[in-house]
Amino acid sequence: MKKNLKKVLAVLLAGTMSLSLAACSTGKSTESNQTTNTTGENTSEGEAKEDTSTSQDEITIKIAWWGSQTRHELTQKVLDLYTQTHPNIKFETSPSGWDGYFDKLSTQTASGSMPDIVQMDYLYLTTYAKNNSVTNLQEFIDDGTIDVSNIDENLLNTGKIDDKMTGLVLSSSMLSVGYNPSVFVEAGIEEPSAEWTWSDFIKLNEQIYEKTGKYGASLDSAADTNLFNYWVRQHGFSLFSDDNKSLGYEDDKILEDYITMWSNLMEKDAVPNPDEFAQIATLGQEAGPVVTGDAAMIIEWNNYASKVSTVNDKIKMVTPPLSQDSDAKGLWLKPGMFFSVAETSNVKKEAAEFINWFINSEEANDILMAERGTPVSSVIRQHMIDGGQMTDQQAAMFDAIDSAIELAGETPAPDPVGMSEVNEAFKNAANSVYYGQKSVADAAATFREEANAILARNNQ
Amino acid sequence: MKQSNTIIKTHYKREDNIAAYLMLSPWIFGFVLMWLLPMIISIYYSFTDFNLLNEPTFIGLKNYIRAFTEDKTFYKALGVTFTYVLILVPLRLAFALFIAMLLNKKHKGLGIYRTLYYVPSIIGGSIAVSVVWKQMFGNQGVIMSLLNALGMEQKVSLLGNTNTALGVIILMGVWQFGSSMLIFLSALKQIPYSLYESAMVDGAKPWKVFSKITLPMLTPTIFFNLILQIINGFRVFTESYVITDGGPLDSTLSYVLYLYRRAFTFFDMGYSCALAWILVAIIGIFTLFLFKTQNSWVHYEAGRE
Repeated sequence: MKKNLKKVLAVLLAGTMSLSLAACSTGKSTESNQTTNTTGENTSEGEAKEDTSTSQDEITIKIAWWGSQTRHELTQKVLDLYTQTHPNIKFETSPSGWDGYFDKLSTQTASGSMPDIVQMDYLYLTTYAKNNSVTNLQEFIDDGTIDVSNIDENLLNTGKIDDKMTGLVLSSSMLSVGYNPSVFVEAGIEEPSAEWTWSDFIKLNEQIYEKTGKYGASLDSAADTNLFNYWVRQHGFSLFSDDNKSLGYEDDKILEDYITMWSNLMEKDAVPNPDEFAQIATLGQEAGPVVTGDAAMIIEWNNYASKVSTVNDKIKMVTPPLSQDSDAKGLWLKPGMFFSVAETSNVKKEAAEFINWFINSEEANDILMAERGTPVSSVIRQHMIDGGQMTDQQAAMFDAIDSAIELAGETPAPDPVGMSEVNEAFKNAANSVYYGQKSVADAAATFREEANAILARNNQ
Repeated sequence: MKQSNTIIKTHYKREDNIAAYLMLSPWIFGFVLMWLLPMIISIYYSFTDFNLLNEPTFIGLKNYIRAFTEDKTFYKALGVTFTYVLILVPLRLAFALFIAMLLNKKHKGLGIYRTLYYVPSIIGGSIAVSVVWKQMFGNQGVIMSLLNALGMEQKVSLLGNTNTALGVIILMGVWQFGSSMLIFLSALKQIPYSLYESAMVDGAKPWKVFSKITLPMLTPTIFFNLILQIINGFRVFTESYVITDGGPLDSTLSYVLYLYRRAFTFFDMGYSCALAWILVAIIGIFTLFLFKTQNSWVHYEAGRE
C-alpha cells in the first residue's frame, strides 16, 4: 500500500513539476516581450546587431500556413534565414495542406492557442475579424514597423474590415487557366489565347478528349464559388448583394447555364465527374493530371504554374475564357492570402517585424520566388524582374497580372460571414445535377433558397 | 469504549479512502476535466449563439427549435445515421455470433483465428484503415478493378455512387465485429454442456438445439451487445469523415459528422452543442425502449437478484 502511495505521489509531483515548467516558459516570453522593444528597429539588417540580440531572451513565434510541399520547404528556408539574422527569434511551425487547416485553426482559436502568425484566406478573414480574434495591425503600420508604402492601396485595403487592418495581404492573384502544352501538341490543337471564349473552351475540351482520350479540364467546378463568381461577374452582376444578406444576381438562369455547361462536358467524359475528381484530389496538386500530362487544363489561381514548377516547368498560363455575349469584366485582383496576427499573441511586435521583412526584404523574396503569388510590393516585383532569377513560369505570372489588369473589374468586398456554408450549399446544388438527382432548374432554385437563408442568418 | 472504537475505524477508513482517491486521481482528473466539465459547458452552449470565437449570448431554445423546424440537413443526417444503425447492428451481431459459434468448437489454431477476427475491431475505426478502404473502394481501387474484370463496369465507383456509398461504410462497420464476437464466445462457453447432452439424447436437430437452447441462453448477452452496438453505431464519425467526407451528396453524412461540421467548419458551436444533446436524447430513448422490452425476450437463467 505504502509503495503504491509513493508511486502515486511521484506521478503527481512529476505532473506538478511539468506544469510549473510550462508556466515558467510562458512567463519568460512575456517578459522578453517587454524588453525587445529596444531591438525592435533592427529589422532587416539583423546581422550587424547579432551581438546585441544574442544576449536577449529567446522569443518563439508560432506560425501556421497551408500549402504544398514546395511552399513548406521555401517557407522553412525563409524562417531559418530570419533566425540566422535574428538569433533570439525562433519559430514553431505548423505547415499543413488546405484540407483541415481551418478546422484546426478554429479549434485552436477557441481554446485560446491560436498561433501568433497565421496565414489567412479571404474566405475566413471576415469571420475572424468580426470576432476580434485577429489583432489590428494598423498600429504597426502607423509606427513604421510594417512598411506598406510600396503596396497598392486598394489591395492593401482588402485586409481592412470595420476599419481595422486585420490581415496584411501577401500576394495578389487572379483566376487563370493553367495548361500543359504537350497535351495540346498531342491532340494537334492550338494552345488557347487570351481572346478565347467559353464556347472555345467547351470545344477545346471536346476535341482533346476525342483526339487523346484525356480530360480537357481537370477541376471540380463545384468545389467553391470562385469560378462561379467569375461567371456571375461576366454577366454583369456580383455574387452577393451589397449588404451580404442575399445573392446578388436575380436570374437563376445564370447558375443553370453554368451547371449545364459542366454536366454536358462530364457526360462526354471530357472533364472528370465528381467521383473521378475525388480520386484525382487525393493525388495532391503536384501529382495532378495537368502536371503529369493526363489532362490539358485546370482553372486555378495565377500562381499555379509557379506552384508546380518543381515537378513540371512546362506548364503555361492564360486568362480564363471570356463571355461571348458580354463585355462585363469578370476578373478581379484577388488578395492571394494574408498574414494575420492573433489577438492573444504575446509577441505581436516581433510578429509584425517579421511580416514586414517577409513582404519587403529582397533576401526573403529571393527564396520565396513568388510561390504564394505575385508579391504585393512594387519594389520587390521590380527587383524580381530585374534580378533575372525568375523562371519562365514566374515571368509569365508577372506578365499575366499586367495584362489581366485591363480585364479586371472592381475587387469584390471580402467574403461574407457564412461563406463556407454557402460554398457547401453550392457544392450540393451542382453535384445534385452532376449525379442526375435534380433538374438544373431545381438545383439553381435550391441554391438560391439555401444561400439566402445562410446569408441572412449570418449577416444580421 | 464503543465510541472510540468507531472513531478508530472511521479514521482507518478515511486513510484508506485517501489512498484510493489518490490512486484514482489520474482517472478522476481526466474524467472531470476532459469529460464532465465539457459536458456541462456544452449544455450551456446549446442555449447560446456561441460561434467559437465570440462571447456566447443566451438565446433560449432557439437552437433546438431551429434544428427541428428549419434544418433540412439535420433530418438528412438523422436519416443516414438511422439507416446505418438499423442495418449495421443486426448484421454485425449476426456475424459476430456466427463466427463465435464456429470458434466455439475445438479446432487447431483457435487462438490465432480468435485474434485475427478481433483485430479489425481494434484497428478498424482508425484513420489509417479508413484511408485504405477509401483507396480500395475508390475510383481506381482494387474493388473497382475487380468489378470491371467481372464485367460489371461502372462509371462511378461504389464510394462515388449515392446509392452504394453508405453500403461501403456499413460493410466496414460490420467487419469490426470482433468485440461482440469475444463477448458471445465467452457467453457460449458458459452454457452448461448438460443441456446439449440431454438435447442430443432426445435426438434434437441442430437448428432446434440452436433456437431452443443456444439462443435463449444467449439473450442476456445479445441484449448487452445490442445496447452497446446501438450506442456505438449512433456515434459513427471516422468512416464518413475520412472515406467520403459525408458525400456524395450527403448520402453518408453521419449525424456526428454533421455536428462536427457545424461546430468547426461553419463556426456554429452553440447549435452544434444542441445537436449533440439531441443525439444524447435519441440514444437515451433507444436504450430505455430496449430496457422496457427486455422482460419479454431476455431470458435470465435463475438467480436474478
